[in-house]
Amino acid sequence: MEEILSVGIDIGTSTTQVVFSRLRMENTAAFFSVPHVSIVDKELVYRGEIHTTPLKTAVLIDGDAVRDIVAAEFRRAGFTPADTDTGAVIITGESARKENAALVLEKLSGFAGEFVVSTAGPDLESVIAGKGSGAFQYSLDNECVTVNLDIGGGTTNIAVFDSGETVGKGCLDIGGRLVRIGPDRRIESVSPPAARVAQAIGLSLRPGDRAAPSALAALTDKMADLLAQALGAAEREPLLRAVQTPESSWLEPPADIRCICFSGGVADCIRETGGDPFRYGDIGPLLGRSIREGALCRAFPVMEAGETIRATVVGAGTYTTALSGSTIAYDAGLFPMKNLPVLKLTEQEEDACFQGRSEPLARRLRWFLEQTDSGRLALSLQGLRDPSYSQLKTLAQVLSGAMDQALPRGAPAVVALERDMAKALGGAMRALLQGRRPVVCIDGVRMENGDYVDLGRPLMEGLVVPVVVKTLLFG
Amino acid sequence: MKLSTTLAGRHFTFRDVKDVLAKANEEKSGDILAGVAAASDLERVAAKVVLSDLLVRDLRENPVVPYEDDEVTRLNQDGLDAAVYSRIQNWTMAQLREYILSYQSTEEDLKALGRGLTAEVVAGVCKLMSNLDLIYAANKIRVTATCNTTIGRRGCLSTRLQPNHSTDNVEGITASLFEGLSYGCGDALLGLNPVNDTVSSLADVLKRFDEVKNRFEIPTQICVLGHITTQIEAVKRGAPCDMIFQSIAGSQKGNSAFGFSRETVEEALALLRDRGTAKGPDVMYFETGQGSELSSDAHYGADQVTMEARCYAFARPFHPFMVNTVVGFIGPEYLYDSRQVIRAGLEDHFMGKLSGVPMGCDCCYTNHMMADQNDIENLSLLLGSAGVNYILGVPTSDDVMLNYQTNAYHDVGTIREILGLRPIREFEQWLEKMGIMENGRLTDRAGDPTIFTRR
Amino acid sequence: MAERDNIAAIVAEVIAQLQRTGSVALPQGDRPCCGGEGPCGDITAPACRRISLLDHPEDPEALERMRTKTTARIGVGRAGPRLKTQTLLTLRADHAQARDAVFADVDPALPEQLGLFTVQTQCDSKDTYVTRPDLGRRLSEEAVETLRRRCVPNPDVQIYASDGLSSTAIEANLPNILPVLMDGLKGRGLTVGTPFFLRFGRVGAEEQVAEVVGAKVVCVLLGERPGLATAESMSAYIAYNAYVGMPESKRTVVSNIHRDGIAAVEAGAYLTEVICRILEQRASGVDLVK
Repeated sequence: MEEILSVGIDIGTSTTQVVFSRLRMENTAAFFSVPHVSIVDKELVYRGEIHTTPLKTAVLIDGDAVRDIVAAEFRRAGFTPADTDTGAVIITGESARKENAALVLEKLSGFAGEFVVSTAGPDLESVIAGKGSGAFQYSLDNECVTVNLDIGGGTTNIAVFDSGETVGKGCLDIGGRLVRIGPDRRIESVSPPAARVAQAIGLSLRPGDRAAPSALAALTDKMADLLAQALGAAEREPLLRAVQTPESSWLEPPADIRCICFSGGVADCIRETGGDPFRYGDIGPLLGRSIREGALCRAFPVMEAGETIRATVVGAGTYTTALSGSTIAYDAGLFPMKNLPVLKLTEQEEDACFQGRSEPLARRLRWFLEQTDSGRLALSLQGLRDPSYSQLKTLAQVLSGAMDQALPRGAPAVVALERDMAKALGGAMRALLQGRRPVVCIDGVRMENGDYVDLGRPLMEGLVVPVVVKTLLFG
Repeated sequence: MKLSTTLAGRHFTFRDVKDVLAKANEEKSGDILAGVAAASDLERVAAKVVLSDLLVRDLRENPVVPYEDDEVTRLNQDGLDAAVYSRIQNWTMAQLREYILSYQSTEEDLKALGRGLTAEVVAGVCKLMSNLDLIYAANKIRVTATCNTTIGRRGCLSTRLQPNHSTDNVEGITASLFEGLSYGCGDALLGLNPVNDTVSSLADVLKRFDEVKNRFEIPTQICVLGHITTQIEAVKRGAPCDMIFQSIAGSQKGNSAFGFSRETVEEALALLRDRGTAKGPDVMYFETGQGSELSSDAHYGADQVTMEARCYAFARPFHPFMVNTVVGFIGPEYLYDSRQVIRAGLEDHFMGKLSGVPMGCDCCYTNHMMADQNDIENLSLLLGSAGVNYILGVPTSDDVMLNYQTNAYHDVGTIREILGLRPIREFEQWLEKMGIMENGRLTDRAGDPTIFTRR
Repeated sequence: MAERDNIAAIVAEVIAQLQRTGSVALPQGDRPCCGGEGPCGDITAPACRRISLLDHPEDPEALERMRTKTTARIGVGRAGPRLKTQTLLTLRADHAQARDAVFADVDPALPEQLGLFTVQTQCDSKDTYVTRPDLGRRLSEEAVETLRRRCVPNPDVQIYASDGLSSTAIEANLPNILPVLMDGLKGRGLTVGTPFFLRFGRVGAEEQVAEVVGAKVVCVLLGERPGLATAESMSAYIAYNAYVGMPESKRTVVSNIHRDGIAAVEAGAYLTEVICRILEQRASGVDLVK
């Protein structure tokens, strides 16, 4: 058994959070079998405070202030950056802009340890929050469909899980801080998505106006109704399209929902009743009430979330790291390898490789290396379930030949397969390359074109490497 | 004590009681492998003739493993009912056989009698019985035991539901479990053979069994059949557990090859009485099987039927809720074909009952044995009519983890119908409540595992 | 002669009749197997096994999910209290394959094709083999003599294959695992002995093999007792400095080598590493530090 420490940092529209988790790995194979290492337990060892995301302007993050927050959380948790083995910085919601991401990467580089990465995008956020809230695990344990709605300041990230598989994701511009209220109970700001919804119901909201609970409740009632529409609990209207978060997927109403789960800051407002509706200086409590009393909660049972406001950061800290297969091949001294662009072969290209034709692969490699201009890549293949010796030899010859030609001198040949054959393939490639360049050959991972991948230092006496696949990379 | 005889004009002499017992045994490949079997059929019968004239006392006074060397012998000899023994010690083995079969002996008589018999006497009388004798005699006796429910009542045939999985995946185990419950299996036990003998793996499955048992209010027992020490540790760490299991052998040496001793069982019992989830009082589960002593070189030159009887002698003082022989699991080098397996199943069941333990049978075979599913169906029907407490049930007969075949979930219902037997009463009521059984027969709803997923 | 002709004619007629009635009574697409989903060429085919035979489950989707979680045969339905015909026949087919794996000989062309010569233990038949484990652990005199004559003496590693309880496992895996293993070990600069095939071999024969050829490490690739799920499972038993009478605990075992477990080529690469570790540590079994 071995443990790694993972840090999760979430810099969202309204809050910034840090958590630390321990991931416990174990060889779960039967005694006389080939080892199979998997993550058997995830324990949250430190939950940081909920900080307001420091902003320089309405949209630009204050990088130095963020760094100070993170530094203070590391101190309070009693960890140094060197203690962390893996993790993720995730910049979410309206903060997820290129300028902010670059700034955060720069300011947090000292805390990044060996392995901390930056990743974002509304769809991925939805999945991460759904894992952090416990909705994913519930669907896995109970073999049913669960939907997580992570309702934050600016967006509602929706993820649909069926028996532990992500089957749907989407994101709507619906959140608790889309309208901000000043201490003088006047409207401070109205974000464009809130204005669109207000306009649709004929409601006039201008900064400086007195914040009328009844008028704003009409707004949040409509917002809650849009969420119900998204899950098929109310009839869909065109307005739903208008509040779809840019770059997010369109979610078709899922079938057979066993239960729904709320996370994010507004989740707590759904549970709380009474109190000053403007106590947080926004419409969060009103939105919470609208959801509690609306069509969504009438249509579906609500499950208790394990994490609400921390769901995203917990998801980022504990669910982004996976492990490679346990029979892999690699040369020493190469790890960690960060941000390798992924080249995934098509089925035809892969077939050609198995048939001993290297030209399609060579062509694709040349094109890819020109495109990315970095001289680095991870070649992703499906592989075969039970390859014959001759298939293995042929594939090794084609891959090592084409990669040796295309890659810059000395650059490692990195191959990532889905099927369990990496140790055999890596061994055969090594024999063919005769030390001309190092080889990394892992399996048990699925990647797509456009992904980037981090490979961490080998764990469990070198049996596995931690793998983080990112769908979008800043910086 | 006369150790020789003339039969069909030939003279046969035997070395000692152990030799007589071994050669009187029906043919078993394991006895041939051990070099203790009769050389010919006639020698076998000659040994039976000599055995039939030996006194109960001769067998008691000549245990096949010396008293000084072996705690199984001591447990057996010291625990004997002196009054019963003194009454029968001078009976010949032939007399004992005929008493057991006679109309004169009632069930209560036979249960009392058993308390005065050592394992060697039980094995000896078994060797003088034909298959139908074994069925008839065993049918006279019912040994009940109580954990959460009571097993072994006349008119009942129970099942251990064995939802094994190739990787101990809890969801996969649950899927098989639901399938089995939907066929009316599981009144004896929900019991898994784990792949991984680790505390955490055992605890995970026990927790799931406990959840299912409680959620659906199933009147039954749960157990995960890891090594006894692993189960003890799991219970100490709070895993829910009705019963603790161990494979046992007929000698101390055999048990120590299994990695436990009498003290380990005592520890398990004390722990369960303190922290187990069952009402009790009977909370142990033992498995046996002819040939296991020879496979660990712990047979002391004795035949495998006598060593098997000694397993029951070892089990008896711990008041198990269930004991079963895994009769065809060991392979053709011990039980060559279906003929030997069926004989062994009938022998073990009879000997277990006469020894006073609540006996079930895993009617099974491996793929390198000269047997198939037909043979195992025969054996289970024979045992059903002999009044066996329980048989096993796995999906369609194929155990995907142990790689052998036993009774299918479908079999117990069939045998119950044919022989007019029922599940344990509380369990039957539960089946009726779930709409799986009506008047002792499966309903249209039976056989659908998804009736448990909608709740 | 006339009688034989008669029989041939009767057989031909029966076959013709079968073909005729077969196509009339059971048209393609209407056969009751595969749950009526379509024509079924082979009830043992994975596509055929995937279809549940249970009529009208209350929750068909849950049933499908459950069936993905286990290889156990669930959702099979019933005829009265008994198995459906297709289930029964599939079980019989799987049992037949398992029995054939145990009792059929490895095709003699296979060792030849892989450049292996064949020797035998003291068993003279499969029947002796299954009932006399002691004889399956001892090489025949001829085998000892052949190994002395044909094998490279005192290698670092001696690899050989043995039918054990599944000839099918050898046929399915040996052509793929053996060359990977030989390549791998030679690639590490080790001297590898002359591989061969041992008929009627138990695991324990490897001690005598190690003694006869003087190998530091011996590794037998052996067919395992088949289950109904697969008859193709192979194991590797490896020992350092093996000698006759060696305790079982000195053996390192890697099991479950087959297409649904660990693929043969991958197992070969893994075994290469295990054998190197055994040589480095000069220990195997419980003495081997992982």
